[in-house]
Amino acid sequence: MKQMINNKSMSGSRTASPVRALQLSEGLGVSVLLILVVAAATVTARGFFTYTNITNTVIFASITAVTGFGMTFAIAVGGFDLSVGSVQSITAITVAALLSVTNIPFAIAGALLVGLCIGLANGLIISMLRVSPFVATFGMMSIVRGVALLATKGQSILITKSPIAALNVGKVLWIPVPFIIVLVVFAVLYVVLHHTPFGRHVCALGGNRKAAVASGLSISRITIAVFGMVGLTAGVSGVMLSAQILIANGTLGTGFELQTIAISVLGGTSLAGGSGNLIGTLIASLLIATISSALNILKVAAFYQYLYLGLLLVLALYLDTVRRDILLASILGKGGRA
Amino acid sequence: MSRPETTIGAPSRLESRRKIGDFLLKYYIQSLLVVALIVLAALNTNFRQPNNLKNILLQSSFAGIGAAGMTLLITAGAFDLSVAGILGVCGVIMATLVAPTSTALGICAALAVGVALGIINGLIVTKLRIPAFIATLGMMNVYLGLGFIWTNGQVVSVAQPAQVSQTTGVVSAATPFVLTLGTGSLFGILPVPFLVMAIVYGLCYLLFRRTHYGRFLRAVGSSEPAARTVGIPVTRIRIIAFALVAACTAIAAVLLTAELSSANAIMATGYELNVIAIVVVGGTSLQGGRGTLLGSFTGALFFAVINNALNIFGVGAYWQYVVSGVLLISAIAVQAVRSYVSAVE
Repeated sequence: MKQMINNKSMSGSRTASPVRALQLSEGLGVSVLLILVVAAATVTARGFFTYTNITNTVIFASITAVTGFGMTFAIAVGGFDLSVGSVQSITAITVAALLSVTNIPFAIAGALLVGLCIGLANGLIISMLRVSPFVATFGMMSIVRGVALLATKGQSILITKSPIAALNVGKVLWIPVPFIIVLVVFAVLYVVLHHTPFGRHVCALGGNRKAAVASGLSISRITIAVFGMVGLTAGVSGVMLSAQILIANGTLGTGFELQTIAISVLGGTSLAGGSGNLIGTLIASLLIATISSALNILKVAAFYQYLYLGLLLVLALYLDTVRRDILLASILGKGGRA
Repeated sequence: MSRPETTIGAPSRLESRRKIGDFLLKYYIQSLLVVALIVLAALNTNFRQPNNLKNILLQSSFAGIGAAGMTLLITAGAFDLSVAGILGVCGVIMATLVAPTSTALGICAALAVGVALGIINGLIVTKLRIPAFIATLGMMNVYLGLGFIWTNGQVVSVAQPAQVSQTTGVVSAATPFVLTLGTGSLFGILPVPFLVMAIVYGLCYLLFRRTHYGRFLRAVGSSEPAARTVGIPVTRIRIIAFALVAACTAIAAVLLTAELSSANAIMATGYELNVIAIVVVGGTSLQGGRGTLLGSFTGALFFAVINNALNIFGVGAYWQYVVSGVLLISAIAVQAVRSYVSAVE
């Protein structure tokens, strides 16, 4: 009996460390690719590894990453949100419209409130009306897009004479402000996902819905909170976008939903739900931004950029599969020897 | 022994009410479509004009044909976001080939390329083991790029040589047939694309319900490890499913190119989400394992009817986004709440 327990605990500790290594490397997997791509870009593209270009690349990545974090939660809980592109558009419009009547903090607060409310509405539709996340957020994407176009009458709103541009071009210790926003959002959400009961409930609900219900978790509260959070992060990216381009209209953010889901999945968050990889999301957003920046600097024609971006994505994911195989093989190999 | 008898002898009125309720829930989207059609036809004289009904059937068929293949793929537990790219590539290939060679060659080339692209998708997902979502999103970019490069970003016209020859009085033999594929109709009300859609759905239904392949598809979708354990060739099933989606998309590309008498690489932006929405609204679960072709067929008509009605009632373009979103959510919410209530009962 004693021996059995011993055996159990021993085998437990033996498997624990490789499994942890595998978990840790999940976040690092894409970063190896990022380093490879940065190295390749530095060698081939003159002017890639300059302060200005790196800054621009990071700013480009930041706007996607912020919403990617929220999306990672939505995927972890077993759904996704297709309305983030429309939310980005309408929050950018809110900023632009409010700036003409009020100051920056109110404009930003108003935009974030709009994003949060749309997200909460998504959560309510999904949990209370039991509509699948796909249909609910697909419908919301259309509704919000329509409201954005109606509110602007299809025109663009210019942001003039406002210091809000500092949100985009400003720097603290050479670090661009958008990236600081990303780091703050990342830190907060990382703690929420990995060190709070709420984060564990999100993963529990996404991993096994029936078990989560049986153990007494409030499905609707978790769902509403998660989708509210996605709406909020989409609002943050809307604010950042308006500060970057200083113009807002109802067609902004088209295709943003697939981009943000893509960086979450590329970063290692499985669409099956049950887990989220925020570090991976951040690094994946940097990877995609780096690829586009390098293609731009290399003056690759727009047509070919699509082609190369697609091929590089597939290559990146294939390397990720290979990495996982090697790691798994090494773990199983070690287990076999011991 | 006595227990089953008591359930059989349960109150028959309740039983029949439940049967009607079950029927309405099972055929919810179909019932909804019928009700919508009756109400709209009663409300608006323009709506019930044969020409308008023909238009609805025509508009439903392009996304509807893609949705047939997508239903099978989603049942197998994957989905394909690259269909808009495939549609663009197949469209421009057909458009560029019809004029210099022949209609048949143009169509065959488009279909062959479509199937080839689908097989590439399938190989990438299964052999390189990349999640279908991100793999097909990547390939979407690749196909879009290829379509752009092939056409140099231009719109390729199918009818161009016909216009030239008409001015000289010589009518090209190939062109009218191509246009018939897109704009022709049977008895003046059944457009050719809709007839093709009906045939595609019929074939997919046979494949889905009457063959081993269809059964394997559902097995792979509900549990891949279990399917592997019982010896189902999961990889081959998946690759064929991707090829089927691409084949359906290529058919849609041929018809759409014929209807527009031109093609370009971005002729189908947003096609992937529209197609998946049709499948999901029809009642196929994104989790895999279950699929309904009848649902997808109705779903395609349902979306076409909504869009058409919004146009007929003169709803502004921007309001259409709002109204169609609200209609979509509320239609599905009613079904979801009803099925939840009946499950609780």
